[in-house]
Amino acid sequence: MQPETAIRVERISKTYGDFRAVNDLSFEVYRGEIFAMLGPNGSGKTTTMRMILDILKPDTGKIEVLGGALTDATKDKIGYLPEERGLYRSVRVLEMMEYLATLKGLSSGEARKRSQAMLERLDLAEHAKKKVSELSKGMQQKIQFAVTVLHDPELIIIDEPFSGLDPVNTLALKDLVMEFRAKGGTVVMSTHQMWQVEEMADRLLMIHKGEQQLYGPVEDIRKRYALHAIIVEGQGNWAALPGVERIETLENGRKGTLLYLESQTTTDDILAAIATTRNISIERFELAVPSLNDIFIRVVEEHGQ
Amino acid sequence: MNKTWIVARREYLYNLKRPAFLFAVFGVPLFTFVMWVVIFAVTASNEESLDSFTQVGYIDSAGVLQNGILPETAPDITPPELIAFESEEAARTALDNREIGVYFLISADYMSSGQVSTYSYSGVPRALRSYIQSLLLANISRQTPGDLPLERIENPVNMSIHVADSGRNLTEANIPALILMPLVFAMIFMMASGVTSGFLMSGVVEEKTNRIMEILVTSITPMQMLLGKVIGLGLLGLTQILVWGVAIVVLLNVGQTLPLLQGIAVPVDLMIVFVVYFILSYFLLSGLMAGIGAVVGSEQESRQWSSIISLLWVLPFFFITSFLSDPNGALPVALTLIPFTAPTTALLRLGFTAVPLWQIALSLAILLLTTIFTVWASARVFHWALLRYGKRVSVRELLRVIRQPPEAEISLAQSAQEGAR
Repeated sequence: MQPETAIRVERISKTYGDFRAVNDLSFEVYRGEIFAMLGPNGSGKTTTMRMILDILKPDTGKIEVLGGALTDATKDKIGYLPEERGLYRSVRVLEMMEYLATLKGLSSGEARKRSQAMLERLDLAEHAKKKVSELSKGMQQKIQFAVTVLHDPELIIIDEPFSGLDPVNTLALKDLVMEFRAKGGTVVMSTHQMWQVEEMADRLLMIHKGEQQLYGPVEDIRKRYALHAIIVEGQGNWAALPGVERIETLENGRKGTLLYLESQTTTDDILAAIATTRNISIERFELAVPSLNDIFIRVVEEHGQ
Repeated sequence: MNKTWIVARREYLYNLKRPAFLFAVFGVPLFTFVMWVVIFAVTASNEESLDSFTQVGYIDSAGVLQNGILPETAPDITPPELIAFESEEAARTALDNREIGVYFLISADYMSSGQVSTYSYSGVPRALRSYIQSLLLANISRQTPGDLPLERIENPVNMSIHVADSGRNLTEANIPALILMPLVFAMIFMMASGVTSGFLMSGVVEEKTNRIMEILVTSITPMQMLLGKVIGLGLLGLTQILVWGVAIVVLLNVGQTLPLLQGIAVPVDLMIVFVVYFILSYFLLSGLMAGIGAVVGSEQESRQWSSIISLLWVLPFFFITSFLSDPNGALPVALTLIPFTAPTTALLRLGFTAVPLWQIALSLAILLLTTIFTVWASARVFHWALLRYGKRVSVRELLRVIRQPPEAEISLAQSAQEGAR
C-alpha cells in the first residue's frame, strides 16, 4: 500500500547570487514517519526546510505540503523549530508560549491551558512566571520544542533539535519527538548526530552541496552500504576459515573481529563452516552493517568536500 | 481572532507594561506638575517677600520725590515705609546695621537718564521694583502738563489682534496661550509617536536578532505582522495622548491662578487637525521605522536611525521665531508641504495665524500619499529583510526590492557562514 504523502518536493532549486544552495532536489515525506535530513554544514538542509515552510521561494520546482501549496490554514498545522533558536528573552515563559500558540490559531484560553499542561509535563511549571532569559539553555530548548507542538500540528519540521543539548536533555527531547510521532504526527528533522537518525528515523535524505546523495528507508540504506563481511566474537582462528579473505580486529572500543568474505562466499557458508570447525567457540555473529556515520563520511568523501 | 489583531493586542498589552512607556506616560506629566508647583511656590514667595522690606531707604539726588506723593497700591499690599537719607554713606550704614532692608539711589541726572540703583543684601523682589516704579511715576507725572491718566503713561498700548478668517482673536492676555498650545501639541505629538515608533523598531530588531522571526513568519504573513504592530502601537500612542490630555486639563485647572495660564482654552479646530495629522504621520513614521528595523542589524544602529528620523519632525521648532514673525512666509509654507515636517509646522502655524485652507488640504494630501507609499514599500522591504543578517544594504538594493514583488532573502553572508562551519 502506498503511504500517504505529507510533503512532496519536486525538482526544486535555489540559488543565492552565484551560490547554488539547492540543486534539482526531489523527495517525499510520508505521513506518520520520522524523516531525517542529513548533510554537512552548508549542504542545503536549512534552505530546503525554509522552502517547505514558504519562508523562501524556490527558483524552480514545486512543493506540496499536507496536500497542496502552503496556505495560511496549512501553516497552522505545522510546527517549526528553527536551527537558530528564537525566543523572546525578556518575556515571561507562559505569556510567550500563549502568544505564539494563538498565532497558530488557538484561542487564548485554550493556548493558556495547553501551555500550562505542557509546562507541567516538562517539569517546568515553577518557571512559568520567569523570564525566558532566566532559564538554562536546556530548559529554553525544551520550551522551544513545546512551542513547536503546542498547537497540535500534523507536521513538525525541526532543524538540528539536539544541537547543544546535554545527554539528559537530549533524551527528554527525543522522548517528546517519539511521543509526537506515536500520536500520528509527521516529523522532518535534520541532525548531525547519526545515532539519533539510526534510533529514530524511518527514512532519510542525505544531501551534499544541495544535491541528493542518498534517499530511502534507513535500513535499506545501511544494508546497501553493507560490507561483504561479518563481525564475530569468540575464540578461534578466524583467518583459517574457508571463504575468509582477511580479518581485522575492531578498534575504538568496539569488540570483535571483522571477517571480510571472498566474493563467492555467503554468510550462510561461513556460519556452516564455523559450526563444523572444531576449536572455535562463538559468542556473537552479525552482519557488518556500517553505521550511518560511516556511510555519511564515505559519501561525502566520494563526492569531494 | 484575526491574526493581525492578535499581534496588535500583544504589542499593545506588552508595551503598555514596559517601564519606559509607563515613565513616558506618567513621568512626564508628573514632572511637569512638580515643576508647576515649584514655579507656583517660588512666585508666591516672591509676592510675599515685600513684607520683609518694611523699611526702604532712598537718596533722592534729583529731587523728584520732594512732593512726597505716594502711589495707590492694591488693598492687600502694605506699602513699605520710605526713609530719606542725605547721603549714600548714611543709607549704606543703615543697610549694614539692618535698619533698612534696601535702599535706592535716584541719580542726579534722573530726568534725562532715568537711572535708579537699588542696594540690598538679598535682591529686590518684583513687587518692590514695581512699587518704586509707581512711586516715581506718580511723582514725575505731577511735573507734566495736562491731566494724563497714569495707566496710559505706564502702558500706552493694549493691543488686540484680529486675524481675518481664522476666527481667533489675539489679545495680549492670550498670546502666550496661543503660542503655548501648538507648542504643547507638537511636543505631545513628538513624544507619543517617538516613543511608540521607537518600540516598533526595537521590537522588530529584537525579533530579528533573536531569530524568533523565523517562527513568526511560519505562523503569519509579514504584512499581518507589520499591520498588527503598527495598529497595536498606534493605539498605545493614542493611550499616551489620552492620559496627557487628561493631565493637561487637570494642570490647567490647577494652574488657573497663574497669570500666564489664564484664558487658555484648548481650541477645538486645533484638536481635530492634531488628531488627523497624528494618525497619518504616525503611520508614516512607523512605516519607516519598521522598514529600517528590518534592515539594520542591531539595536544600537536602529537607535541612531530613529533619532535622525525624529529630527525631521522636530526641525520646525528651530524656525519658530521666523514662524512667529511671518507665519505665511515661504519657509513655513514649504515646511507645511514637506510630509515629514508638515504635522509640527501646521500645528505651530495654525496657532499663530490663519493658514489658507488649500495649504492644509495639499499638505494632508501629500502626507497621505507619502504615508501610503512608505507603508507599502516598507512592507516589501520588511518581508525581504526579515531573514537577512549582518549584511549592509545599499540604497540601490532597497530600490530594487521595492520595485519587485516581496520575497524573503537570506543573506549570502549567512550562507557562506554555514558553509564555513
